Amino acid sequence: MKRYFLLYLNFLRFSFSKAMEFRLDLTFRILMDIIYYLVNILFFKVIYLHTPLLGGWTEEQMLVFVATYLLIDAINMTVFSTNMWWLPFYINKGDLDYYLIRPVSPLFFLSLREFSASSFVNLLIALGFFAYTLATYSAPFGGLDLLLFVVLIVNGSLIYYCIQMLMILPTFWTHSAKGFIDLFYSLGMAMERPDRIYRGWLRILFTVLLPFALIASFPARIFLEHLDWGTFLHLLGVTAVFWVLVSYVWKKGLANYSSASS
Amino acid sequence: MIKVTELRKTFTSYVKEPGLLGSLQGLFHRREVTKAALKSIDLEINPGEIVGLIGANGAGKTTLVKILAGIVHPTSGTATVMGFKPWERSNDYRKQMCLIMGQKAQVWWDLPALDSFLLLKEIYQIDDRLYKKNLEFLADTLMIKDQLKTPVRKLSLGERMKVELMAALLHQPRVIFLDEPTIGLDISAQKAVREFLRNYQVEFKPITILTSHYMEDIKELCPRIVIIKEGEFVYDGSLSKVQRLLGDNKVLSVTTGEKTFKVTVPRADLARKTTELFSGNDIQDLNIHDPSIEDIIESIMRTGVSTR
Repeated sequence: MKRYFLLYLNFLRFSFSKAMEFRLDLTFRILMDIIYYLVNILFFKVIYLHTPLLGGWTEEQMLVFVATYLLIDAINMTVFSTNMWWLPFYINKGDLDYYLIRPVSPLFFLSLREFSASSFVNLLIALGFFAYTLATYSAPFGGLDLLLFVVLIVNGSLIYYCIQMLMILPTFWTHSAKGFIDLFYSLGMAMERPDRIYRGWLRILFTVLLPFALIASFPARIFLEHLDWGTFLHLLGVTAVFWVLVSYVWKKGLANYSSASS
Repeated sequence: MIKVTELRKTFTSYVKEPGLLGSLQGLFHRREVTKAALKSIDLEINPGEIVGLIGANGAGKTTLVKILAGIVHPTSGTATVMGFKPWERSNDYRKQMCLIMGQKAQVWWDLPALDSFLLLKEIYQIDDRLYKKNLEFLADTLMIKDQLKTPVRKLSLGERMKVELMAALLHQPRVIFLDEPTIGLDISAQKAVREFLRNYQVEFKPITILTSHYMEDIKELCPRIVIIKEGEFVYDGSLSKVQRLLGDNKVLSVTTGEKTFKVTVPRADLARKTTELFSGNDIQDLNIHDPSIEDIIESIMRTGVSTR
């Protein structure tokens, strides 16, 4: 455990020294992300010009939710996304070789190696926005709520990571996961809507099979209404099942890995 | 030690007719093609031994190395390296092993080599003393001390290979897989790498498997060679004895007006063949000599074991 922590510190060191070299890229990324945040906030602002309630939430509550999913998105962009972007190429071009011979979990290495230092600034902005919405939010909340929220945010990020991996891992067999990854991004929109708007089979789809609704909507509910323990367990359970699934498919994939010859 | 028994690997792929029409057909029925990369390989290598693995492109060298390094799973058969099944990838095995591929870089491109080394130190949990000792030893013997703080992308190909060697050997592996370590290097860099490898072998006595297309590498480093052809071993034995395989042959190097070519003939036929050559061609130069190791290996790779 400690060893992996030290390794991760090394990844951070690498990423930051690399990011310093490409300052223009850094500036652009920050600008793009700020625009993305503003578009998201404005989208809901416009909707609330026409209705007082959406999925049972007021505008003030909705802002807490928006801040939550922006936060999760920023975490994903910072921690996972660069790695996820490269993984299919590595699998296809046979570049996993050097990761497989190291005495470290290759899944750990390949999922976390590239910490996106340029997105890190945006993570800070997202965090700031979240703190702001919470500070201006009228209903009371306690320290326990905050703690639970942190747990569920981590949990949500893990679900997001797992779904993403499950869309990428077919590359081991299909040699191109473009279709799946596109599907992931279009379905990913489901995370950016309050879960109450999904009913019937859509609800089952987005809370169990492709649990996008669990990623941000449920954590936000901690501040917005009462979140019972059953739901809490459901969230952790889904993550556990998806994690087992990812590990299993990863193992199967490696057994099938043929490593393009050099 | 390394022990391989009846190791097989087959790859399955699909062939497609060229062009758009071919791609459309491929949607409905695909023609499956299986290619046997390794056909029942047996191999035993003792500690401290260095073995040269020779074969044409696609003969199965790299596949064998990748199976032994634990990257690729075999289709059937068994292999153990120091008691470990490589493809189970236990950390205990991977800590004692290294793989160097001349074609694929392992050090970080954008950063100085020393940064990559620090990460490797963490990965292999090399303690500070040993790390310092090995770093110094490797940098000295490879004569690359001054370039370790330069981003790797700014190094020359030869310097990069030296850095790759350092990265692979920092943790003092007991099993070394070298897949074409001198590819693309100029003559002097090749020499430096070879000399380093020879000294390293003497000093640390790891098990080493070396594949290379450069006969110089093999001749200088490997007392024992294995020749692989289309997934099968056609020769496994000492380098010096390989000469006997072609039996009692002589090579004629002939230069005529427009070209130079070589003919291998049994010694008994030498006189007849030479006369034949002289009568039909305008010969400007003719040399008769024993076949070189290159000639022999090339001939074995082309035709299999000589059946004179």
